[in-house]
Amino acid sequence: MKKKVISALLSIAMVATLLAGCGSKEAATEEAATEEAAPAEEAAPAEEAAPAEESAEAGEGQVYYLNFKPEVDEVWQSLAAKYTEETGVPVKVVTAASGTYEQTLKSEIANANAPTLFQINGPVGYQNWKDYCLDLKDTDLYSWLLDPSLVITGEDGGVYGIPYVVEGYGIIYNNAIMEKYAAMDGALVKSADEITNFDTLKSVVEDMQAKAADLGIEGVFASTSLTPGEDWRWQTHLANLPVYYEYKDKGISDTDALEFTYSDNYKNIFDLYINNSCTEPGLLGSKSVDDSMAEFALGKAAMVQNGNWGWGQISGVEGNTVAEGDVKFMPIYTGAAGEENQGLCTGTENFFCINSQASEADQKASIAFVEWIFSSDAGKDAVTNELGFIAPFNTFEDDEKPTDPLAQEVLRYMADSSKTSVAWNFTSFPSQQFKDDFGAALLEYAAGSIAWDDVKAVVVERWAAEKAATAEAE
Amino acid sequence: MQKTLKKYFVVFTVPTLIAFCLAFVVPFVMGLYLSFCKFTTVTNAEFVGLKNYFRAFEEPDFLNATWFTVRFAVIAIISINVLSFVMALLLTRKIKGTNLFRTVFFMPNLIGGIILGYIWQSMINAILVNYGTTLVANAKFGYIGLIVLMNWQMIGYMMIIYIAGLQNVPTDLIEAAHIDGATARQTLFRVKIPMVMPSISICLFLTLSNCFKLFDQNLALTAGAPSKKTAMMALDIYNTFYGRSGFEGVGQAKAVMFFIVVATIALTQLRFTRSKEVEQ
Amino acid sequence: MKTRKAVNHVVFVLLCILIVLFLTPIFFIILNSFKGKLFISDNPFALPTAETFAGLSNYINGVEKTNFFAAFGWSLFITVFSVIAIILLTSMTAYYITRVKSKFTSLIYYMFAFSMIVPFQMVMFTMSKLANTLHLNNPWGMVILYVGFGSGLSVFMFSGFVKSIPIEIEEAAMIDGCTPLQTYFGVVMPILKPTAITVAILNAMWIWNDYLLPYLVIGVSTNYKTIPVVVQYLVGSYGAKDMGAMMALLVLAIIPIVIFYLACQKYIIEGVVAGAVKG
Repeated sequence: MKKKVISALLSIAMVATLLAGCGSKEAATEEAATEEAAPAEEAAPAEEAAPAEESAEAGEGQVYYLNFKPEVDEVWQSLAAKYTEETGVPVKVVTAASGTYEQTLKSEIANANAPTLFQINGPVGYQNWKDYCLDLKDTDLYSWLLDPSLVITGEDGGVYGIPYVVEGYGIIYNNAIMEKYAAMDGALVKSADEITNFDTLKSVVEDMQAKAADLGIEGVFASTSLTPGEDWRWQTHLANLPVYYEYKDKGISDTDALEFTYSDNYKNIFDLYINNSCTEPGLLGSKSVDDSMAEFALGKAAMVQNGNWGWGQISGVEGNTVAEGDVKFMPIYTGAAGEENQGLCTGTENFFCINSQASEADQKASIAFVEWIFSSDAGKDAVTNELGFIAPFNTFEDDEKPTDPLAQEVLRYMADSSKTSVAWNFTSFPSQQFKDDFGAALLEYAAGSIAWDDVKAVVVERWAAEKAATAEAE
Repeated sequence: MQKTLKKYFVVFTVPTLIAFCLAFVVPFVMGLYLSFCKFTTVTNAEFVGLKNYFRAFEEPDFLNATWFTVRFAVIAIISINVLSFVMALLLTRKIKGTNLFRTVFFMPNLIGGIILGYIWQSMINAILVNYGTTLVANAKFGYIGLIVLMNWQMIGYMMIIYIAGLQNVPTDLIEAAHIDGATARQTLFRVKIPMVMPSISICLFLTLSNCFKLFDQNLALTAGAPSKKTAMMALDIYNTFYGRSGFEGVGQAKAVMFFIVVATIALTQLRFTRSKEVEQ
Repeated sequence: MKTRKAVNHVVFVLLCILIVLFLTPIFFIILNSFKGKLFISDNPFALPTAETFAGLSNYINGVEKTNFFAAFGWSLFITVFSVIAIILLTSMTAYYITRVKSKFTSLIYYMFAFSMIVPFQMVMFTMSKLANTLHLNNPWGMVILYVGFGSGLSVFMFSGFVKSIPIEIEEAAMIDGCTPLQTYFGVVMPILKPTAITVAILNAMWIWNDYLLPYLVIGVSTNYKTIPVVVQYLVGSYGAKDMGAMMALLVLAIIPIVIFYLACQKYIIEGVVAGAVKG
């Protein structure tokens, strides 16, 4: 019997070796290549072997991009494959799990094969990663920027992060459902355009929720996804609004101590979201962003807060019932004074950085890859039509701007001079930890475990603590 | 013989020692040193004395995690050991199908922590959905969930050890007790339990150290949600290291303290077991 | 005696109920792995109906997203080679430090024993840095690291057993002209076999299920991901939990363990008991 076990183990070992043989083909061919090179060197004159080696080394540049947005993983994978096909330069794209970008970057960048291309979310991110950011002042990419002031600059004036997308977010609504509502008896508005402040929004939403069955929806708002890691729409994007107004009142762009003076405004809209939804507040902790986009796409909900990047998620859902022409944006109203003129929240938190500690060949290869994406026809096509990016570079002609309905809406709001865009102040949020703590507090609030004042306390307290902690860490 | 063997030092020990140094000795010494340093990568360490240790307590996270770990461990250890002992008693009654029962009860122990965590996460969520809530909505659910999960995983394991212990109790001892007119209860408390004391201390030790060092299950089940209220010590250390920038030294300091706690438990247990064995 | 029989009937029924409870989570994931992903959260305990039945699509989806079979191959590779290396190397070390008595060998022994009580978190960060500096972030590197980590318990268990072997047998072999290596492989190793099986099983269980070490050392960017790493990666990634693929993957992750367990049940249970008692 024992012999049998041992022979079984041995055969397992053999199978494993075979399997390993398949898996490590790459390594094997590399080895084979060096083996081939070695005898060649012996046989051929030294001069011949040397340049061959050199060119091999120069061509050895590799790109490893650590992608930030899981929802566009596939687009990046296919872009990488296309680029490799065209140029022969290997490009690897790895996507960090939702909400774990910093964490993944940290463990990956310490690896021998560290990412050569990564991204930071703004000045706060730059502080964490400045040791790894290469000065990009001399790149074409920088020279193409429409507005060079958007870049992340270091203390020495170098350019360490280049924004590659301008995005906007607000409340996405399904105009078909809104028109159906407007046509009903006793409708409070004749069209969604009449909603220009929180009070109107609230009464309309509550009225719609009461008539949900007649409208054929399960709830006005799609699920407020509060699963940890899936809560960035609330702890970052929605949280931008109260911070924006507080900064505006104080005339500042960053602070060590947030007072959260617009806490009630946040509560206004958050309560509206969770109480007029197709999901019970207690269940929000199991919902993901994908879930809520699917609910919107399937017509179960009439509204969802998200940005123009969400179009892919809406159009990609199987059984999608929302017509392209019916997808519209409205600003997020919270009951702040003067919000009638408020536009969408537009800005960027996506800056490309090149790993300064990667080999020079890899750095060059990475820059070339990024430049290819934003200048070649294939790259631009993917950026515009698949990623749906509004790219801030002059290499894009007017007819190369995205045509998807949400990007169109963002462009429309940006062009409308009567609306003031809300700046993305969340790039000044102290840390991911702060956002996670805020999100967790929101989850507990939605589940009914804690009161709103506790959430407010968490925000104020954690903001100060995290600002202090990051200052200390530097 | 010693002399001849001695010459073979390199062949017999060096490969293991190299691996041991790489994986353990060097990282351990470095870790100890780095807990007194400020660093982001190992190479840029700067000595800061005990500052990391103070910073570890500046935020409530670490103490909360410790307290949660203790609360979890106490209940889990008691429930696992009582239940597995009872099941071992049942399975030593010569009932048909004993082997099948033993096989099934032991199986969860072989499934990895990450997989177990996700199995139970979906199970618990499926139950809670009927009550309009989820696993991460309330720390109570995560707490109970972890205890249930650990019971599911470890009962079979402990039961096997108890069965082995019970089978070693000489049958004539039990028969003698019977003849003397001892009730079943008396036989259990006066004969069986004292005789399986070694098994009991082994099981206590195993459950204790497994509960204290728990990580995978914790990560997969709740990942500490909500608000880190269900994060145990190992997870808190992991989060400090990899979840935040500038806290590497604090993470290492927490790890050193965690090590001291775990080592103290292990050594106390060892001493306790030894002294018990001598008594017998 | 009659009452005993009656009691046994009750116990039997009780155990049957317990077994059903124990298997519920397993049935639960198998059941749901055949449902469409949007239906799982609706009514998780219902059997798949014509509407909700998804066939094998969850399995295909899960396998494709994670490259599961490659992960299976790497898990197997790392586990098998680590276990073989651990058995061979640590038993030799244990033999040496038990038979050669000096201050140095007892120091080594205590260091191995000491490493058993150190939690992984203590060395997690420095070890993964070191491993990356030395380019151990590949399956062979993992084997080396597992030998290093596994050596504490393994050396401890082997040396406990070596102590109980009468030294006379070895001396006789040596007198017959065997070198220490010949003596070890010809005489000692066969005697160590029961302990070797125990050590192999304990280490195999640990390595197969280990998550943090491969995650930190190998990372998520290579093709060498092991099963626990891909499970965590799938579930936490892609912006959404694809519940269907997740259920399918959990089932797939359990299947090899169950097969292995049923095939060598006796050794596993004996090994685990022996390991617990000695460890």
